[in-house]
Amino acid sequence: MSKEYPVIGLSKPRIDGREKVTGAAKYCGDLKLPNMLYGKLLGSPHAHARILSIDTSEALKIPGVKAVITAKDVPSLKYGISPARWDENVLCIEKALFVGDKVAAVACVDQETCYKALKAIKVEYEVLKPVLDYRTAWDDDMPQLHAEYAKNINTEIHQEFGDVEQAFKEAYYVQTDVFVGARTYQCPIEPHSALCIWKDDKLTVYSSTQSVHYFQHYIAREFGLRMGDVRVIAPYVGGGFGGKLEPTGLEFCGSVLSKITGRPVRMFYDRQEMFQHNRGRHQGTYKITNGVDKDGKILGVHVEFQTDGGAYTSLGIASAYYAGALLPLTYEFDNYKFDMYRMYTNLPACGAHRGHGAPQPKYAFESSLDNLAKAIGMDPLELRLRNARRPNTVTPNAFAVNSCEMKACLERVGEASDWKNKKKPGGMPKGRGIGLSTGSFVTGAGYPIYRTDLPHASCMIRVMEDGTSATLYSGSVDIGQGSSTILCQMAAEGMGYRYENMKIVCSDTETCPLDFGAYASRQTLMSGWAAKEAGEGIKKQIIDMASVMMNLPPDDLDCVKGIIFSKSRPKVQSLTFEEVARKLFVLRGPLISKGVYTPPRLGGTFKGAPVGTSPAYSFCVQAAEVQVDEETGVIDIIQCWDCHDVGQVINPTLLHGQVHGALFMGLGETIWEQVQFDQNGKIINGNLGGYMLPTTLDMPPINSMLVDSYEPAGPWGVKEVGEGATNPTIGAFRNAIVDALGVSVNQLPITYERVWRALKEKREAEQTQGK
Amino acid sequence: MYLPDFEYYAPDSVQEACKLKAEFGPRAMFFSGGTDIMHKMKIGTLAPEILISLKNLEALKKIEYVPGKGVVIGARATHNDLVNSEILHKKYMSVSEAAHQMAANQVRNIGTVGGNLINAVPSADLPPILMALDASVKLVGTKGERVIPLEELFTGVCKTCCCDDEILTEIIIPDQKMTGSTYIKFGLRRSGALAVAGVAVAVEVDKDVIKDARIVLGAVYITPKRAIESEKFLIGEKISDELLAEAGKISCTECKPISDMRGSAEYRQNLVEVLTKRALRKAIDKGHV
Amino acid sequence: MSNASIIGKDGVKRYLITITVNGDPHSKVVKANNTLTDFLRDELDLTGTKKGCELGDCGSCTVLMDGKAVNSCLILAIEADGREVTTIEGIASTAEIDILQQKFIEFGALQCGYCTPGMVMSAKALLAKNPRPTELEVRQALAGNLCRCTGYVNIVKAVLSASGQEVAHD
Repeated sequence: MSKEYPVIGLSKPRIDGREKVTGAAKYCGDLKLPNMLYGKLLGSPHAHARILSIDTSEALKIPGVKAVITAKDVPSLKYGISPARWDENVLCIEKALFVGDKVAAVACVDQETCYKALKAIKVEYEVLKPVLDYRTAWDDDMPQLHAEYAKNINTEIHQEFGDVEQAFKEAYYVQTDVFVGARTYQCPIEPHSALCIWKDDKLTVYSSTQSVHYFQHYIAREFGLRMGDVRVIAPYVGGGFGGKLEPTGLEFCGSVLSKITGRPVRMFYDRQEMFQHNRGRHQGTYKITNGVDKDGKILGVHVEFQTDGGAYTSLGIASAYYAGALLPLTYEFDNYKFDMYRMYTNLPACGAHRGHGAPQPKYAFESSLDNLAKAIGMDPLELRLRNARRPNTVTPNAFAVNSCEMKACLERVGEASDWKNKKKPGGMPKGRGIGLSTGSFVTGAGYPIYRTDLPHASCMIRVMEDGTSATLYSGSVDIGQGSSTILCQMAAEGMGYRYENMKIVCSDTETCPLDFGAYASRQTLMSGWAAKEAGEGIKKQIIDMASVMMNLPPDDLDCVKGIIFSKSRPKVQSLTFEEVARKLFVLRGPLISKGVYTPPRLGGTFKGAPVGTSPAYSFCVQAAEVQVDEETGVIDIIQCWDCHDVGQVINPTLLHGQVHGALFMGLGETIWEQVQFDQNGKIINGNLGGYMLPTTLDMPPINSMLVDSYEPAGPWGVKEVGEGATNPTIGAFRNAIVDALGVSVNQLPITYERVWRALKEKREAEQTQGK
Repeated sequence: MYLPDFEYYAPDSVQEACKLKAEFGPRAMFFSGGTDIMHKMKIGTLAPEILISLKNLEALKKIEYVPGKGVVIGARATHNDLVNSEILHKKYMSVSEAAHQMAANQVRNIGTVGGNLINAVPSADLPPILMALDASVKLVGTKGERVIPLEELFTGVCKTCCCDDEILTEIIIPDQKMTGSTYIKFGLRRSGALAVAGVAVAVEVDKDVIKDARIVLGAVYITPKRAIESEKFLIGEKISDELLAEAGKISCTECKPISDMRGSAEYRQNLVEVLTKRALRKAIDKGHV
Repeated sequence: MSNASIIGKDGVKRYLITITVNGDPHSKVVKANNTLTDFLRDELDLTGTKKGCELGDCGSCTVLMDGKAVNSCLILAIEADGREVTTIEGIASTAEIDILQQKFIEFGALQCGYCTPGMVMSAKALLAKNPRPTELEVRQALAGNLCRCTGYVNIVKAVLSASGQEVAHD
């Protein structure tokens, strides 16, 4: 975009493309080791039950069953990914807290025997009354899930910045709305699995994980092992979206089963079990009060949220903070109050789902802005333009924003969608509507998930002895987003080398230096800084050596795409990277270098201030145009637009791919996706027929656009795109649908039936008024 | 997931298959395509001890026109065989189109028409259009064969009048006086979705008068359901938007939908009203069956 | 008629089947409950055929059986006895990858890659039957393959481009 580079900024083919299109890429569930056993977890059939006894004797009699374990065979140390609330047991000790909660595990010679063994385990339960509705979970007559968290409140947040009451007093118009979200699930197409090998007091775990480091840390902690004795490897990972960030019963139980049997054990979830393990999007109720002046300037915002956390914490504390923390990013206002309760319920635990806690609250906020615009008679785009954040500003909750092209994104989407003309009376056919929303997201979290002073990212580069290839060793994880490709582009750019000669070894705690992994949209910036530094370290050594070989001062030399040349004397014979690298190896041994990144201290000092801090924030705007069939409620999506401020682009094809995928996910959550339960807390649509992802035929054309931007806190000026692109989506589609209907719909998903019902109620209300 | 153990037979003739079934009784099931049986076995709602595969009955794959009888669809024809059949394109495009709305391509290449009918799921897409075209089915058993109207096959949710040792071997669509037909499926997404409601219609139109009509409702009753009152209301009437809208209103009194995760009974009733009206209009305007 | 069988120690029958996979006949003794997916993955180590949902909803396990795209998770291995099966490992006849595979890479039509083999197989079946499909026809042919990463945008482009049609990159 803004500046042209030899390697970055170009749509280089994915480094893993060939492996993946030929079916050669091995995912965890494809791995097979000699003598390997298969393992599975037994889930509770009840949402809330006391475990009275477990009889494994019949299961053990089945030929091919090698081990059956229960709580007494595993460490009782509670675990979790959020250190503030370790509330999960490897296997349930006293009570099972949701349908699918893990009560036993088996290791068998084949997968079929696992299922038979699970059926043969006899568990006696005392069924307890379950807490299934987060809105009443704190009522006095509700049973407690965890004794230490009174009234089933998992997380409670009260933050105030400025003076919201005063702002509302001064406001020209104050409006309160309540919006309701839905439980959704990441649904990576690859089911989780883990292959565990416990041998000679050393544990190796292959897992479909987003972070080998956090897995290593927590697995070592659980078993009292040193990190050096635990190796975690992520093979190819078939999507994560937040759901594969934390260790599961598969890793813990698989490790124990391997220790007991002395054989490798590969554990796996099937699709229904994935839905039960969940860690997907929290559903919540979102009350939002906005106060504006006559010009539509936002004076104060008060949000009061309550969300359904499910049975355990997972990453939910962070989700709870994120819910409010990111709301002040895209608009400038000084007075902000955030009240939040995350409730425990006897349902699968919720966690970080693309965009973390932010997309549902953002949908509510952007919906409230459209309602507000309507109430004060202002165009929704105009309202947003008047409040759009500017660069080099600070949010009320102390996030420093450097680059920010919010206004440019709004204008660009306005033009591309022909907003003004469509918004004129008669500008669109009957049943048609257009809506938009802004979005923003962190480019990596400012602080790690557990407290540590370790750097956030590091890597090494080793150049082949004859200089014909270079390998990047990075603890980062490519879960499909393309980090391996762009990190190699960035390393090659730093080296003055060619992407085509790069290789990568990643996501292995033994061969790669530490990197926190794929979450919070962090790798492009954080792992990218490390790759840049390592690359530049190689380049410096190459230039210094070439300086001797060419008898020219180093600062007169440059290395671009593997050619070292004199900047001042173009006629001087150039050298190749290969020649110089080979010479270096002969004289000094391996040509290696390293890079490391730690973010600066960020954010305020109030309670919860770290959540939402980031070196840089992406900004974007999405708009959607829809047509509603007024008789059936069917929503036809005509087209949609995304305009992003992502700073410098590393790989345009991959970047637009992130926008497409994020928008797809957000669209699914707007209209189709919802995990549904029966009256006993059992999932009734835990499969891909019942839980409906949009198909090829449901996806509209997507116009993905960019604005010029440069982010000083990112290597070459980069920012994130992976999660921010989900942030505005639900709001944009909701606003378009409501525009088409002429009546508010405040509950997700906005199913065809809900649309039909809203129109029916509108007609009935009009008839009543008419009379 | 896994399938419970079972024994497997793949007889070479219909007679042999019937004999096996008679011998094994309710312990055995016929298996034709088997997409639904596999699904149910995997989720644990079905565990037959014996599967008798009909895969070797190649003769039952044919789709042909037999003068004096009509279009004969072999029960082993896959859904995509219907989608791609030139005979159907020529004579009953609406059947081909209905098949195209089922599941997704890969399932349509496995699932068979016979399997779909015998399965007798209320939301099945083929029965409404076939019933609208007055199709009958041939059942062959150890004691002989019989041909019954398709309408009589369905006796309840996943229940048919097919006897234990009987195989559904063919579907016969008789020559029509009907001038237009269509099936409109309402699913929650455009592929891989079960019908929330579906309406099939066949009409005989002479100038602007409806001379005959058959309306069949899917997914809104324990079986596919004829909307007899609505049909009666239409016959002999002059076509108008108001007439078709009224027929829709009558149709929705003739179904008895349930509420489930895909939609409420009230919504389904509304859909029947709208889809009936739209299907009638489409069948009338199309001018071919 | 029915396959040759033996009864195992567990009292369960095993059947001799021969399936031609990627051109090579493979004779194996299997239980009747063995699915074609498991046969390919466990017996032949062809793990390019993926397990995503096991119920025919996601399309990750798509292979060609006698040239037609099918969900191998909904097919019993024994039902495929005597048939020709092509998997992702077998679609390129030489060391060169198939044009579809090339275009998937060129257009960024894959991210995590887990649905990719199934997508390519569905597309392969389409182009064999319909060498110049419209965009709608591509979308119809791929509607049984769920992708969670790409929003299908670049997948559709890659297939259209593989059919020789002009398609703009982003």
